[in-house]
Amino acid sequence: MAPEILAYRVTKTFKKTVGLKDATVSAGKGISIILGPNGAGKSTLLRCMGGLYHPESGRIRVFGGDPYYDDAIRKRVSLLSDNYALYDKLSVLKNLMFFGRLYGNTDQETLDISKDILKRLNAYQFIDRKAGELSRGTKQKVAICRALLGSPDAFLLDEPTAFLDALSAEEVHIMLEEFAKDGKTIVYATQRLNEATRFKADIFVIKKGRISKKLGYGDLYGKVLKNAKVDIKLADAIDERVARKMPHFKSMKGSELAIIIRSYKDINESAKWLMDHGAYVIKIDYTEPMIEDMLAD
Amino acid sequence: MDFKKSYAIMANDLSEVFSSKAIYMPMIAVPTFFAIMLPILTFYVSTYNISGIASRIIGTATAVVGTSSIGGPVFMAYFSVYVLGPIFMTMPIFTASVIAADSFAGEKERKTSEALLSTPITIQELLIGKMAASFLPAVVLTLAVFAIYGSVTNYLAYKAFNAYLLPNLSWILMIAMSPFLSLAAIGIVVLVSAHVQGIKEAQQISSLLILPVLVLPFTSIFGVVDLTPTFFAVVMLFLIVADLAIIYFGIKSFKKESIL
Repeated sequence: MAPEILAYRVTKTFKKTVGLKDATVSAGKGISIILGPNGAGKSTLLRCMGGLYHPESGRIRVFGGDPYYDDAIRKRVSLLSDNYALYDKLSVLKNLMFFGRLYGNTDQETLDISKDILKRLNAYQFIDRKAGELSRGTKQKVAICRALLGSPDAFLLDEPTAFLDALSAEEVHIMLEEFAKDGKTIVYATQRLNEATRFKADIFVIKKGRISKKLGYGDLYGKVLKNAKVDIKLADAIDERVARKMPHFKSMKGSELAIIIRSYKDINESAKWLMDHGAYVIKIDYTEPMIEDMLAD
Repeated sequence: MDFKKSYAIMANDLSEVFSSKAIYMPMIAVPTFFAIMLPILTFYVSTYNISGIASRIIGTATAVVGTSSIGGPVFMAYFSVYVLGPIFMTMPIFTASVIAADSFAGEKERKTSEALLSTPITIQELLIGKMAASFLPAVVLTLAVFAIYGSVTNYLAYKAFNAYLLPNLSWILMIAMSPFLSLAAIGIVVLVSAHVQGIKEAQQISSLLILPVLVLPFTSIFGVVDLTPTFFAVVMLFLIVADLAIIYFGIKSFKKESIL
């Protein structure tokens, strides 16, 4: 069966800059993650999928149609781009009413949908405020609401929580999980690992316009935690001479140990060694590497 | 083709333009001021200074107006139609340029175009809505300004010379040209929208259309061209053909990427 959204061997360039190079992504129902650093091509990919850009080669199919030419398809797929710009001189409500009309909604329908979403995102109190007076985070909430006005079957989300507070970001995540449960297709672009691993999702890593094969969490953590430093906190300090014998030992400071691991699987080995030597592990943590380093070739 | 969507685009653009005093005030106040002041100045010169400024161009005036009687009414009739008329003919170009530039290049500058083009709107619906948003105010404001300046002129002429000077056929043809001048300005904005980065660039390019119109009074004063009804009819025909070409190529070259 054909996937709901397919980008097949897509190449898109901007003068001399390569946006996408032979990129293939297929997204079925549920959530698919596009993970990559700034400038990797995430936004270009989503814009191609949303019918804003026409690729030089390859093909885009959304529900079987080409979103660049087939205008009706864009009723079924909604793109939330990373600039979330609004008409600044107009109120939030007027902005939403305008877009609602373009999606074929009545004003009452738009109002009902907006009320529901903005309340969930704690932004309904700004509905009569001019968009130009809003903070970046609130603008992003309104833009999320705008993207949902057409009650689409698929969402293309470009870093939708970049400027949101933790609570609102989590509310967006919960909302997306609900949509996924309802059988909708969600393509979620992010550069944050914690977001990429937040959902039960397929993960595609993108770098310099190229897309890796589909990854599972194990593959991803294999990349993330390759030669990484991991901190282990113990309930009580142990003798440093003993600790030095621990596999992958790097350093020790009080009750905190650091290990350097080749892969995430090494963490168990160190932790087991500590437990076998009577230590109580109370926390294991690692510093997330820069996404650029993490996805290095 | 869903005209409701075009209407929504038009209404949104108009509400953007008319929610900003910085845009609409100069667009309305300046022409209105001139529509009142210029006929008053013309009247003053005709009545009190006919031997000075007026006498220098009265030869041309009598030739165009078609009377040999040199004096205030002749000068006022000449100046009101053949000098002020072309000046006010810049109004549809200026207004349409300002709104169209804000509408097309403004979407690019404000980065609102992505959200707009992500909706199920077609290019045709988008263009019709945006062109109507620039065309209608330009034509309405031009008619209003011509009505004001015509009324002031007639009022003063009737008080001083007991005669109504307007409308005459050339003046009516100038008004009739305003939709075509607006369309030309809008078409140029559509054509250049892919190549400009912002509102000012688009506005400046389309405003260049004002130059040939502003040359008209001088061609008349220096006797290069007689601004007769035939002249205006020929220019209007030329404009219609030019409009069709500009709009055809504008629409043909317009892609979503033009305003992204």
